[in-house]
Amino acid sequence: MGFIELNVLNNAASNVALGIDLGTTNSLGAMWKDGRPIVLHPEGGSGYVPSALHFGERGGVIVGREARELALLDPAHTLFSIKRFMGRGLKDVESDARSVPCPLSETANGVVQFEMRGRKYTPQELSALILMKVRDQACKALDGIEVTKVVVTVPAYFDDAQRQATRDAARIAGLDVLRIVNEPTAASLAYGLDRRKQGKVAVYDLGGGTFDISILSIEEGVFQVLSTNGDTHLGGDDFDRTLVEVAKKELAAVMRPSALEDRAFLQLLRLAAERCKIELSTDPEAYMHISLPESGVQWRRKFTRHEFDALTAHLIERTLHSCRRALADAKLGPEQIDEVVLVGGSTRVPAVRARVEKFFGRKPHCELNPDEVVALGAAVQAHVLMGGTREVLLMDVTPLSLGIETMGGAVAKIIQRNSTIPCQATEGFTTYVDGQNGIDFHVVQGERELAADCRSLGRFKLKGIPALPAGMPRVAVRFHIDANGLLTVTAKEESTGTSARIEVQPMNGLSDGEVETMLNSAYRNAREDFDARRAADLRTEIGTMARATERGLSQAGPALDRETRRDVEETLAAAKKAAADTRLEVVALQKRRDELERATLPLAALLMDHVAKAALSGKRLDEV
Amino acid sequence: MAACTKCGAELETPLVCGACGTLFATEPEPTPFECLGLAPAFDLDAALVRRRLLRASRLVHPDFHGASGEEARAAAERATALLNRAHALVIDPAARADWLVRSLGGPAENDQRQMPQAFLMEVMEWNETLEAARESAPGSPARAGLDALEASLREQRESVLREVHRLLVPLPARNAPALAQARRQLNALRYLANSLTQIEALRLDSPSPR
Repeated sequence: MGFIELNVLNNAASNVALGIDLGTTNSLGAMWKDGRPIVLHPEGGSGYVPSALHFGERGGVIVGREARELALLDPAHTLFSIKRFMGRGLKDVESDARSVPCPLSETANGVVQFEMRGRKYTPQELSALILMKVRDQACKALDGIEVTKVVVTVPAYFDDAQRQATRDAARIAGLDVLRIVNEPTAASLAYGLDRRKQGKVAVYDLGGGTFDISILSIEEGVFQVLSTNGDTHLGGDDFDRTLVEVAKKELAAVMRPSALEDRAFLQLLRLAAERCKIELSTDPEAYMHISLPESGVQWRRKFTRHEFDALTAHLIERTLHSCRRALADAKLGPEQIDEVVLVGGSTRVPAVRARVEKFFGRKPHCELNPDEVVALGAAVQAHVLMGGTREVLLMDVTPLSLGIETMGGAVAKIIQRNSTIPCQATEGFTTYVDGQNGIDFHVVQGERELAADCRSLGRFKLKGIPALPAGMPRVAVRFHIDANGLLTVTAKEESTGTSARIEVQPMNGLSDGEVETMLNSAYRNAREDFDARRAADLRTEIGTMARATERGLSQAGPALDRETRRDVEETLAAAKKAAADTRLEVVALQKRRDELERATLPLAALLMDHVAKAALSGKRLDEV
Repeated sequence: MAACTKCGAELETPLVCGACGTLFATEPEPTPFECLGLAPAFDLDAALVRRRLLRASRLVHPDFHGASGEEARAAAERATALLNRAHALVIDPAARADWLVRSLGGPAENDQRQMPQAFLMEVMEWNETLEAARESAPGSPARAGLDALEASLREQRESVLREVHRLLVPLPARNAPALAQARRQLNALRYLANSLTQIEALRLDSPSPR
């Protein structure tokens, strides 16, 4: 594809689709261009959007790098690691809730909500804001071309509720989701494309909040996932937390217990721990600093890599446990793996690399940037989905078994884990009572024997079953897991051929109506976000203009008539005051800026005059 | 072999036309063997099965129907799901044999629950070995007993599969007595598979230090 086809009516690129890695810590967009996937970054930017959100006083939400920087100044109103809350209920996120600086609640369908500045936000809405930011960055990099089609990646071990939440987030962001792709699978696409790989590949993906291991067989453009395993609650955040715990224990000697549990303080600790961890990846020792001048706390603690390795050994062991399970399901031993690929920022931790190398008995590949490889792979998949090539055939699997709760509370499995998707199973249901016109069943996902130990995907109600004696109706319920790993359920009454109605009560999920409402409010938010940014830009612009004006006044001020000079000075003072007043919004700031521009016109003319005269008198411009 | 209703080409699988790419929504659903364009048989060429799977996948997979509208995508989803299910069944000897026995009018697995007394005694012994290993540390003598049990179960599974092969190749006639015999072997296979799964789970839950 050497060109971008534009729809002239709305400036939307009709044949461009973005691959987006929606990460716990960072998010990134990539696109297929001139025969290969490239990361999209606006001029001068890296393209990474830190998955951080800052909530302003007036309700505006700032996303990305600025939010991450504001976290240090205002930790109480900054959120990180939203991905850990996707498709989860309150009771699932108890350990993560402790590092959230705001109160949490839950919707009627068990969706977590963050309460910030008097408003409640679901993880879906917050992820939508991150996705919009990634899209905007990509648009900037593409000189303003609007992109709406996307492929979004998720951890391979994400269950149905987590995938659904991700798709809803994209819908709220106004994006058209072509496909949800598993992160390790995407990574293998990016790797496999470069060098015509053959054989069995293990992709070890340790990100900010999630861990995946996928075993693939790659041959002649066929990427077949044999098995996948993982932990959607294990990542770099947990490595940080080990340092936070040490800090808290040692700070307990100098701080009040209530201050130690202060949410904003914990946010600070977390950021300090993360910095320390990153330094330990390159240096044998590093310091963790905590400085709280208002409470007189100055804490500095040296960590050696050796100590850090001991603190995190159990976390790495958990990843290896998943590796053993994935290998067992693929019916392979570690020695049968031809290549190991490392993905995710947390694979920069030296101990992780060393343990993975020892486990598989071979040096892992990390030639491609572990932070970019997933987005690049998503761009490859987007290219395939847009009809760009038929050379790549991706056969992925569902990570978890699907089952129905039986009378005794046990689970009858109907689709086994690691089944190639799309896949389907049909299950027959009947009635127990004469004339019964409805049947309820409970669908769960997981490997445990009891339904209560698995994840509930929802309770389904079959309605409109014809009145027949008990046991006579034959309702065939079809469970279909699509190429996104998402479940749909349809039913048909076979004795009469009528299709039975199904009502679903989703667990930890949003209804279509809720998504619709959030979609509308996201646009409103984007507007506010845009205004907040515009105001910030205006403040900077006024600052630059003010400095130039002051310089001009000192050079050419005496040549101005008194009236004009006073006008410039007064307007300048008013503009500077406006720029410093955080309560002012776009309209007021714009007015001050325009006034300053008007008032300084005579000054600018005078300065130009000086320049011209200087030039005529043979001086070089920089000597003026 | 049926022909494509659109272009008239001969169809390898009832799911899709290899010549013009038309997807078909066949009702009732084609059998697993039909989906892969194979005649029902217990004896299979695994390489051929894989070739058929990949060839059909390249035609029906939803990845290649992403830009062709909701209806085409839904048809691709359905066809690929049928294909994948067919493949999973056909490549697994136990599932394949089970399907063949049922399709030839043989007993279902619940019609022949009775296992020989001697076999059931043996199963109880396996369970005792498993229980002992479960309660002891990796590296202990009880764990060594597990290794011996696993080797023996694998051997038995091979011999049962050989017997199934003998009974189902060539494919017996409908309702032939060989079908009931094959069913008994398949039921024994379930006990073996179940115990082997438990051994694997036990190893994974408390792995030996490596």
